[in-house]
Amino acid sequence: MAARARFSLSPFYFFLLNAFLYLPLLLLVIFSFNDSTSLVFPLRGFTLQWYRDLMQTPELIESVVNSLLLAVGSGLAATVLGTLAAIGLVRFRFAGRGLFLSITAMPLVIPSVVLAVALLIGLIQLNVPLSLWTVGLGHVVISLPVVVMIVAARLVGISATLEEAAMDLGTTFWGAQWRVTLPLAMPAIVAGFLNAFTTSFDEFALAFFLIGRQPTLPIYLYSQLRFPSRLPLVVAVAALIIAGSVLLIIFTEWLRRWGSEE
Amino acid sequence: MTKMHKQLWQGCIYLCAAVLMTACVNAIPSSPADAPAASGPLTVLEWAGYDEPQYYQPFAANHPDGDIEFAYLDQDSDAYAKMQSGFQIDVVHPCSNWWGVWVQAGLVQPIDTTRLSNWSGISPKLAALGNFDGQQYFVPWEWGFDSILVRTDKIEKMPESWGDLWDPAYAGRLSIADMPEVNHATAALALGIKDPWQTTPEQNEAIKQKLIELKPNVLTYWTGSTELSQLVASGDVWIASNVWPDTYGTLLDEGVQVAYLEPKEGRLGWVCGYGISANAEHVDLAYEYLDALISPESMAQEANDFWYGAANMDALPLIDESVVKLFELDDPTVLDRTIFYETMSEEQRAEVTEMWDEVKASQ
Amino acid sequence: MERNKLSWLTLFIGPSALWLLLLFVLPMGAMALFTFRAGSFGAEREVFTLEHYRDFLSQHSYHLLLWRSTWMSLWVAVLSIVLSYPVAHYLVFRAGDRRILYLLILMVPGWISFLLRIFAWKVILGSGGALNSLLLWSGLIHEATPILLYSPLAVVVVLVYVWIPFAALPIFASLQRIDNSLLEAAADLGSPQWETFLRVVLPLSMPGVGAAFFLVFIPTLGEYVTPLLVGGVNGIMYGNVIQSQFSRALNWPLGSLLSLVMLVVVLPIMLLFNRLIKLEEIVEI
Repeated sequence: MAARARFSLSPFYFFLLNAFLYLPLLLLVIFSFNDSTSLVFPLRGFTLQWYRDLMQTPELIESVVNSLLLAVGSGLAATVLGTLAAIGLVRFRFAGRGLFLSITAMPLVIPSVVLAVALLIGLIQLNVPLSLWTVGLGHVVISLPVVVMIVAARLVGISATLEEAAMDLGTTFWGAQWRVTLPLAMPAIVAGFLNAFTTSFDEFALAFFLIGRQPTLPIYLYSQLRFPSRLPLVVAVAALIIAGSVLLIIFTEWLRRWGSEE
Repeated sequence: MTKMHKQLWQGCIYLCAAVLMTACVNAIPSSPADAPAASGPLTVLEWAGYDEPQYYQPFAANHPDGDIEFAYLDQDSDAYAKMQSGFQIDVVHPCSNWWGVWVQAGLVQPIDTTRLSNWSGISPKLAALGNFDGQQYFVPWEWGFDSILVRTDKIEKMPESWGDLWDPAYAGRLSIADMPEVNHATAALALGIKDPWQTTPEQNEAIKQKLIELKPNVLTYWTGSTELSQLVASGDVWIASNVWPDTYGTLLDEGVQVAYLEPKEGRLGWVCGYGISANAEHVDLAYEYLDALISPESMAQEANDFWYGAANMDALPLIDESVVKLFELDDPTVLDRTIFYETMSEEQRAEVTEMWDEVKASQ
Repeated sequence: MERNKLSWLTLFIGPSALWLLLLFVLPMGAMALFTFRAGSFGAEREVFTLEHYRDFLSQHSYHLLLWRSTWMSLWVAVLSIVLSYPVAHYLVFRAGDRRILYLLILMVPGWISFLLRIFAWKVILGSGGALNSLLLWSGLIHEATPILLYSPLAVVVVLVYVWIPFAALPIFASLQRIDNSLLEAAADLGSPQWETFLRVVLPLSMPGVGAAFFLVFIPTLGEYVTPLLVGGVNGIMYGNVIQSQFSRALNWPLGSLLSLVMLVVVLPIMLLFNRLIKLEEIVEI
């Protein structure tokens, strides 16, 4: 019991860290209601002006939707591909395994603007029209390494004998993966998806070069920031995204409670 | 049902939600970006912010259903690179320091100015910057200064020339642009070089040394107008170089005590404008759009909203008096007193960029 | 069984191998070829030269920056891991079935534009900011100045701040493999908690630590936004040069060369690190 008490520092640390992470978010929400174009104290007074302006800027809303689609889509694709690859890497010995592993890690080393130009040249030569899809292709490339590493780091802990035991009991290999490995690896897979989603949602370089005429949020936002007078609008979008995220967190907690009933 | 399977189910619920969301959004009539081009809308590579109908009023009135679609650019170089790689678009909006390379690379086509009913009002000086080998390739639209801005409540000694930026009195309170050619021009003017766009190798070396000497004064480099106005409004930066008029206007509106100076060598100036892409698919629409952009009412709207000058002089009576006064837009000599950026060749730009990287890397 | 294994292997490895081959290996091969081209566009692109290699070798500022950035990235990676480990530990051993919820809470700030979050921090730490007002009021300082901002140190601090949630993910994943009953058994045997941690928990989580190091160190080396925003005049990193060659000078050959050099630098560091913490455990057991 005494030993446990010493570790009670960790919730406090977790709380403190999150306070640091959320402090700027809180400020952004406050400034989104502030009657001024600069983010400077003291506050000038309450206004809903920026949200009204927002409603009149359909391109901005559209870009948020585009980014959400892109992040969910490329996140899911990277998670599926990455999880499969991680299982393959951990469970099998095969020729070229080391090579595959190092190539998987390499997209991390290449700055995304380099990859972006490389892909742009290739895609245009092949006459592939630029669109959200082409950005998605690129985003999967940069998210894949992360998913592979996170899921693999979990899978090495799941002993293969557990799967073998399941197979001895009459399940197929696939059945063993589905019933044993996947549920055990689920938290890691979710972590991988969260990472891929987050990477894609705020990514600029690849998106700029590979997009057609449907801007993603970062593209629209950076382009807007050329004009100081547009800053509050951008802050208001951020505040809305924060609100949406809080709803998602609440939903997750509700789902957890539902899950732990019975 | 084990707990783990419940977690699996939870994952499935999220998955379904994600798929549903995708489906819903796809059900919304999607933007015609994927439609075959030729018959589709006019496409414009544009800075976000100019994409609203009040800046191309006659066109918007003629095409109530839109008929126009925007792709966005973030900086000139990226737009140029994307076009060089074969990006398909009708109308482009680069700035004067890039116009020449666009023309040289064959990315834009000559413009028949007789097809533009509002062309007559365009300032000849600005039009000349878009004219290459006797042919008009770019229609100038918005222009502005590149000058020194100070916090009058923080600084006692006002700088009078570009060279005064080096005054140790401003140590740690200066911000300069993180833009190679801008600083190249500033240092050239401070050194008394008359034509910053045709410098000799010896002059380039002197410019580099001069910029390294400026480092103790610099708190940070600014990368965009919005970042800069934040820096000045917060009081981190008291004096800033190569500031655009909209930064000044925004800060004035905010009640920050700032002044926008005219160095004795003259202010630097930039102008941006529209060209019709060489691979344009909607040339007629493009002409109609260009004509709408330079109509006096559209141009005045631009000047009033962004504090930039209007290339069409006929717009002057429609521009707010405060904006006209602030930037002396009604003074016929103002354009001549301003040193406008000229095109840098790809080679020059590479050289200047390398110079700037060395300055930044030096300790 | 052997044939079976082969088909499973194709199913697991095949899709991502194909994806990476087409969308990464081939395009990057083209970029490696680009280092020999004279220019990025037009006729110059068809001319082959070693000029950029000479250019790189003679530019000492590039070498200096690379050296400095490598050190900064090492610091960032190590600090991120040290600061995120307790978070991951907390999530796995204390959060119970709330762990996914807490993970989500940790990641949400990353969904908000990095630029805006930095703007917000400048509001707190800047001259007109809350902290300065407090210090002025207390009489500790007499003139408001930006705190911490605009220095190489600021770059390290901001990057660590940004990376903590990301570094926590792989550590979180690897700590999951540790059976709680193992820890209880150790406690029952009277082993002090720190000893259990050092002997059992830490070694078992090493694969996660290795992955976290990868995930932070490598992208940091190519980072360019943070140095621009908070680095001041002396905080510039190697990634800024790549960025400026690629996107400003449009000198793609030199830009490609600079990034290849980075790849070459990263490899030995990875190997060394691999030795130190047995990185292969990530995928071999």
